[in-house]
Amino acid sequence: MRGIEAGCGFRGIVKLHYDWRMARVIDDDGVVIDEVIWTSKRSAGIVADRLFDLQRGRLSAEARVLTERFPDAEVDSMGAMSDLDWPSLEDDELKIFEAAAPILAKRGVANAAGDVDRRLDMLVSSAAELRSSWTTNESRCVEWTGLFLSEVDLDAQRNDIPEAIAEADSIESAASILGVSAPAYSPSDIEWEALRDHAKGVVELTERLSSHEDAIRDIAQQHVPSLSALIGPLGAARLVTLAGGRERLARMPSGSLQVLGAHAAMAAHRRGAPPPKHGAILFSMPQISKSPRWVRGKIARFLAGKASIAVRCDHFGGEPWRDEQVSAIHLETEAIKAKFPKPPKRR
Amino acid sequence: MISLAKPVQLGWGVRREGRSLWTRNAVKGVSVRGERRKRDGRNEWRRWDPSRSKVAASLLKTKNKSSDLLPESGSSCLYLGASTGGTVSHIHDHVCGSGNHHEGHVVAVDISPRMMRNLVKLSEKRPGLIPVLADARKPMEISPYMREKATWLHQDLSIGDQAETFVKMTGAFLAQGGVALLSLKAASERWMEGGDLARFEHSKRIIEACEHLDLIETIDISVFEEQHVVFHCVRIP
Repeated sequence: MRGIEAGCGFRGIVKLHYDWRMARVIDDDGVVIDEVIWTSKRSAGIVADRLFDLQRGRLSAEARVLTERFPDAEVDSMGAMSDLDWPSLEDDELKIFEAAAPILAKRGVANAAGDVDRRLDMLVSSAAELRSSWTTNESRCVEWTGLFLSEVDLDAQRNDIPEAIAEADSIESAASILGVSAPAYSPSDIEWEALRDHAKGVVELTERLSSHEDAIRDIAQQHVPSLSALIGPLGAARLVTLAGGRERLARMPSGSLQVLGAHAAMAAHRRGAPPPKHGAILFSMPQISKSPRWVRGKIARFLAGKASIAVRCDHFGGEPWRDEQVSAIHLETEAIKAKFPKPPKRR
Repeated sequence: MISLAKPVQLGWGVRREGRSLWTRNAVKGVSVRGERRKRDGRNEWRRWDPSRSKVAASLLKTKNKSSDLLPESGSSCLYLGASTGGTVSHIHDHVCGSGNHHEGHVVAVDISPRMMRNLVKLSEKRPGLIPVLADARKPMEISPYMREKATWLHQDLSIGDQAETFVKMTGAFLAQGGVALLSLKAASERWMEGGDLARFEHSKRIIEACEHLDLIETIDISVFEEQHVVFHCVRIP
């Protein structure tokens, strides 16, 4: 660092301007009282580090030296930009600056993977897509098999069908795995192959979905432990994703949390329909979906309030909730249910 | 080749031919997002699609001189909400030129890492284009990249309170006499009684109440982009 040693004993309002290269103390008339220039070896990587610090409102090393010399100086981080006498970038400085900016941007892109919200979003969205294709594929597989094997119970044996087809080497052997008699008509070899590949796909989708959900549970239990304990890790993860991140969910009023996932109903509400009692995620909790309809709104409101507190504990570094706290809450939902055993009278 | 419309030069690197806009391609032989290119002597011109760029749309739809909406070649520009850099590349064509021989400075800010990937790639071939991964509502995150106050600023964000942000950012970064464009997306503003028009009016009032900005024109670009208007402002000296 190189500096001008001057200004000792100066009194009055002085300003401290700085950028990544240098820092200056300037008096009211724009006279430079003191100046420190960054002179150690410059590289694009180090400039990137400096730009990063400035972006976060930290002083550069040069500016820090000047604040020690002029403790009363008014620090203006935007000052250099509007200072007409501020030295413009030399050619080599421009080169190094233009190399540093993309380095910093690339670092930011790479660091996006450190954001758990983004990772959770990928998992939750991917799991939702898998689930929707699993339901279509699985029901096609069951119907297709049922066409040939007329004796298969499509309800009781439903879960065994895809695996039985995938493992068998002909429709006849599939029939024996499922414990039914051989079909009246068999598919041709090539048709059987298509059916079996389809069933293999369904089995594989099932596995993929379950590995997705394992990963979601694992991340949610670390990222939002209290919320996971209260409403289950999968629901907690979906809430975080719907809100657009844990911070947003934590800052959300509990009334908004209550209707997350009820977009259509909220849109209808704006046009005069009654407000939704709960969103899709809260509804998936048995405390709400298994309760009589006249208490669902009350329980949803109560649970949304608790969920909102839970996610705030998780986000702002509170202690994660323990099982006894969660079971106390669930007891209270039972109390609400008990308080309203009968539907309200119609007026 | 015979072209029917005689080109009208709107600036060093931007011309208009009938209803289409072209910029002087700074990286010859490369299209940024698949737009048409054509040669004219030693220069190559790249088509600037008004249905994909709100700046191009406002150049065509303004009732004033369209060159007033453009920055000077070699100036410092700030682009908030750069996305993948489609419009930014055209601004760069004009402000910096090939190899940045105009010594311009285009700071392109976006908050999304996904968009930043493309922007960084773009900047590798275009000296003078500075990709910045930052929140466009926070002056502190942008100021380290500005060599001076910008003489041209465009804000294209899809978040609420766009007009308030615009007032704040022009206050921090726009030089006196500088041009500022705000592309306002009605769908991003909060719900309001009276729909999109009410939202445009609301934003207009905020800009008109602002002491450092002079609202020159409200440009209706709904032909090219639904639910959008562009406010053309100048910073009062």
